[in-house]
Amino acid sequence: MICGFCGHTFDENVARQGCGGCHGGCHSVHCPRCNYKNPLETALVKKLRRIFKKNDADKGDAE
Amino acid sequence: MSSSSNSSSSEPAGRSAVRRVALVGNPNVGKSVLFNALTGAYVTVSNYPGTSVEVSRGNTIIEGEAWQVIDTPGMYSIHTITEEERVAREILLHETPDVVVHVLDARNLERMLAMTVQLIEAELPVILVVNIMDEAERMGLKIDLELLQKRLGIPVIGAATARNRGVDAIRAAIAGYERKGEAGKHFPYSRLLEHDINEIAGMMTGDYILSRRSLAMLLLQQDEELIEIVRHREGDGYPVLAELAREISFKRRGSFHLNLSLERNEIAKDLLNGVFVAPDKRVVTWAERLSNWSVKPLTGIPMLLIVLYFGLYKFVGEFGAGTVVDLLEKQFFVEIVNPWVVGLVRNIVPWEIVQELIVGEYGIITLGIRYAVGIILPIVATFFIFFSFLEDTGYFPRLALLVDRAFKYFGLTGRAVIPMVLGFGCDTMATMVTRTLETVRERVIATVLLALAIPCSAQLGVIIALLSKSPGSLAVWSMCLLLIFIAVGLLAARVLPGEAPMFYMELPPMRLPQFSNVLTKTYTRMQWYFLEILPLFVLASVLLWLGKVTGFFEKAIDTMTPVMALLGLPREAAVAFIFGFFRRDYGAAGLYDLQTKGLMDARQLTVAAVTLTLFIPCVAQFLVMKNERGWKVAAGIGLFVSLLAFGSGYLLNQLLLVTGLLA
Repeated sequence: MICGFCGHTFDENVARQGCGGCHGGCHSVHCPRCNYKNPLETALVKKLRRIFKKNDADKGDAE
Repeated sequence: MSSSSNSSSSEPAGRSAVRRVALVGNPNVGKSVLFNALTGAYVTVSNYPGTSVEVSRGNTIIEGEAWQVIDTPGMYSIHTITEEERVAREILLHETPDVVVHVLDARNLERMLAMTVQLIEAELPVILVVNIMDEAERMGLKIDLELLQKRLGIPVIGAATARNRGVDAIRAAIAGYERKGEAGKHFPYSRLLEHDINEIAGMMTGDYILSRRSLAMLLLQQDEELIEIVRHREGDGYPVLAELAREISFKRRGSFHLNLSLERNEIAKDLLNGVFVAPDKRVVTWAERLSNWSVKPLTGIPMLLIVLYFGLYKFVGEFGAGTVVDLLEKQFFVEIVNPWVVGLVRNIVPWEIVQELIVGEYGIITLGIRYAVGIILPIVATFFIFFSFLEDTGYFPRLALLVDRAFKYFGLTGRAVIPMVLGFGCDTMATMVTRTLETVRERVIATVLLALAIPCSAQLGVIIALLSKSPGSLAVWSMCLLLIFIAVGLLAARVLPGEAPMFYMELPPMRLPQFSNVLTKTYTRMQWYFLEILPLFVLASVLLWLGKVTGFFEKAIDTMTPVMALLGLPREAAVAFIFGFFRRDYGAAGLYDLQTKGLMDARQLTVAAVTLTLFIPCVAQFLVMKNERGWKVAAGIGLFVSLLAFGSGYLLNQLLLVTGLLA
């Protein structure tokens, strides 16, 4: 994912390993570079993105 | 020129049916985006053996063939310095990738091409991906990729992986990559350097992953890891080789590395001659112009005020807390839902005390749910839309630079903008984020300022909506908060002496926000916020009901009545303060109720809004303060904030009475 503050691209799963301080989960992940709190996409949003991504891939390269 | 072989430099990982492609390049050139585009969801992340550096691996099928994609840590050169670079090189040396994709940033082609030269010199199977082409084109840069491909002798692909551009071409290049039988392109250095390199390379006899020419350069740069590999491979011949390398290094007085880097940069420059064309007059895009304006105080402060006016005042305050709350709270809850539910509950439930719990003055539905859905939800929704919009434009890091100098006076740096900005969403979470500030001093100062002068989204929305009906009130409230923020910041910096650390950051490009990003971020934040507040609001209603039933609530109001009188507020205002201690947003909603009942005039509303904004943080924030800073500091901050809130409220009330302002 891309940090909403500093633009750093990082792996959501990696960043999640260093967190877990919030009871019940804060549904966010901190950027490993600037520590900005980025919201984690919900399952619904992830599903929708996957559908749109698949459609994009079916259409072919945007170039 | 020396030959190279595919055999491993040490013990290569066993070659399986799955082919490997390694993505290499500087940090922040889009490697991970490309990795995700190539692999999708099939990803594993693990520490590289013996290090704390994480490497992502994923599997994919390209043109019917299985590939493992390895996302290596950022590296600037094959001659490694950091642990991340060492791990990236380890992967090239020990995992023998079938293809190495070097990803670089089209905007910094000249600076990054030196590493491509190194990879080609090392005779690795390289494909060059010139990424972020969209931004480069927007800047008016022209790159002749075909000519560059011809000069480098490797496949070169233009891409903008963040926009899924060029990914198919990269897949095709990986699938169709064929290692040429002959040695790779030769990039000649000066006579003296060539002499040194050839002398060392000519003495090597072992088989290596990297070319002997490349190894010779690394040996002359005293690369410890490579020295060990060469020592192992050359066996008896190594002492003579090592002696010669030492002799050359001594002769060059350690300048070999510098000379090599300078000459390699010249090679990159020559390669780009006619390939990379920058416009005579660089095209300054609107995004760049806005970016420049936003960080300079003379233009940045008016820009900030415009953003606050349209974003907070018009959109969150007038539209969210005004129009939408009116629609949802008054027309939907008060006129439709509440009368229907009250009637239903009174018919079904015979016990008055239970009726009171569900639909009474502080009932779960008539108060808790109404506050959560009717008042807070539309306000935080509009706030999060505004917040996510700004976030997606890349404005926040610029705001950090803009305020950095001013924050230095408060003992903070621009880095503190992160918790401050997040505090406008929810102060509790923002207090937790203060742990990311560098020094304890910064963390304490930021915690105090958050507890005191940063209203959370719901509180801010309600207050703006209430006070915007009397612009004078809003101006007085804003001025009070600003003055207190500055005064407490300056005071805190004096009380807690110490140097503010340096703050620097790389600015990401400013861009038009993407609708889907804004929408998904808003939805995610809203879901988290709503799921958190709903049970708390219900619990608060139950506690208030208990307080009412036991008479405790009345006593609490009675206790606070003299304080309210000192502030010039009606007795009923105590309810909002008691609510506020449960949750800041709950307190703000209480204030909203008082105003709709017509219990307060403009002066009282302003005094109540200032006091409530400054008032002691809610229970959750207080507990986080205790966790982060300890009991003593949390209790100290709580006491200081409460005294200051009521003191400021008292003084403001006296001032407004004496001057007749807002009368």
